Amino acid sequence: MILELISAAIGTIAFSLLFGVPKKYYIYCGGIGAAGWLVYKLMLDVAGLSVPAAVFFATVVIMLLSRFAAVFEKCPAIVFMIAGIFPVVPGAQIYWATYYLVTDQLYEAFHSGFLAIKIMISIVLGIVVVFEIPYKFFKIK
Amino acid sequence: MNELDDNKNQIYDVAMEAGRILLQNGAEISRVEETMERLCRYYGVESMDSFVLSNGIFITGGYESKKSYARVGHIPVGGASLDKVVAVNQLSREVEEGKYETPEMVKKELDVIANMPTGKKWQKILASGLGSGFFCVLAGGNFQDCLAAFIAGIILYTYVVFISEKYLSKILGNLFGGVIIVVSCVLCIRFNIGMHLENIISGAIMPMVPGVAFANGIRDIANGDYIAGAVRLLDAILRFMCIAIGVGVAFAIYHNFAGGVML
Repeated sequence: MILELISAAIGTIAFSLLFGVPKKYYIYCGGIGAAGWLVYKLMLDVAGLSVPAAVFFATVVIMLLSRFAAVFEKCPAIVFMIAGIFPVVPGAQIYWATYYLVTDQLYEAFHSGFLAIKIMISIVLGIVVVFEIPYKFFKIK
Repeated sequence: MNELDDNKNQIYDVAMEAGRILLQNGAEISRVEETMERLCRYYGVESMDSFVLSNGIFITGGYESKKSYARVGHIPVGGASLDKVVAVNQLSREVEEGKYETPEMVKKELDVIANMPTGKKWQKILASGLGSGFFCVLAGGNFQDCLAAFIAGIILYTYVVFISEKYLSKILGNLFGGVIIVVSCVLCIRFNIGMHLENIISGAIMPMVPGVAFANGIRDIANGDYIAGAVRLLDAILRFMCIAIGVGVAFAIYHNFAGGVML
């Protein structure tokens, strides 16, 4: 678990470099990525939620933290959220969907493809929900 | 045209340049509009209207001396580098604080931002490798898998930086990207570096995920900028589909070669 959190943090920082996030924000990005993964894992294993639901809550936490960081550092929230969201991107599901599709296991292909779409929709919902919260809410200092 | 008009034209030019940098590097539409409006307002131009799409900015402005100003800028959909967005954002904040007296000073600053060096190539390649490797851990890979994902991530981004971004269209670039991911992962397994193909590929696919386009598309749609949002989402989905197709094609070919056995 700790290993996974560290991996999430370093992986997130590596991707923030790819997107050209300024160096001084790396520490935020790493923290947000790790926090997102922690929430995802807790929701999945402890609370026993389904994968899309866990991803939704993880996305909400990632977005909340990103917006707090954005207000705190006075810079666009996208800087923090982009890389933070990467750990919950359904890479594995998409892998399985294409794999099953190519090997003619259409039922399984449909199953994992649909799961990937559900996860994507969870991410979308999570982003939208947090973005509707007015700016004032984040301005506690 | 008198001097005042000249001056105002310059304000619009500055606003346009700021908008261009923002839009090109992955800012959402509302931020682009707001920044341009702020700049214009600060330098005393109240009558500015802008219309921003995902690949174009239209500005019009009219003022007392009847001449009206209009400008259309075409902005190609490009890769994102968020440091420029941050820099322009910071600049517009500083303008409002009164640090720049004339538009010329802002223009100079914008030129500096536009030519800001993007990260070194080897750094990006290494970051891609590291990102792939560590995301492979999250996908459930063991140490060897991560090593394989690291190698695959490096091969992939070397291809992206030196071939795909320079010579290929987005569709073809991403398609071959998918193929390269599978080929390098399969080779790694053949050389006994990794064990679980699914974990390695889940990690190695990550550097290709069009995160900025996806997130911006959603935010633009949520803000009511449907056209720009839809175009950006389409961009993201298209790229992702191409990667998936690339992976699928490579699988299919390998599948046939290996005689129906998947490793």
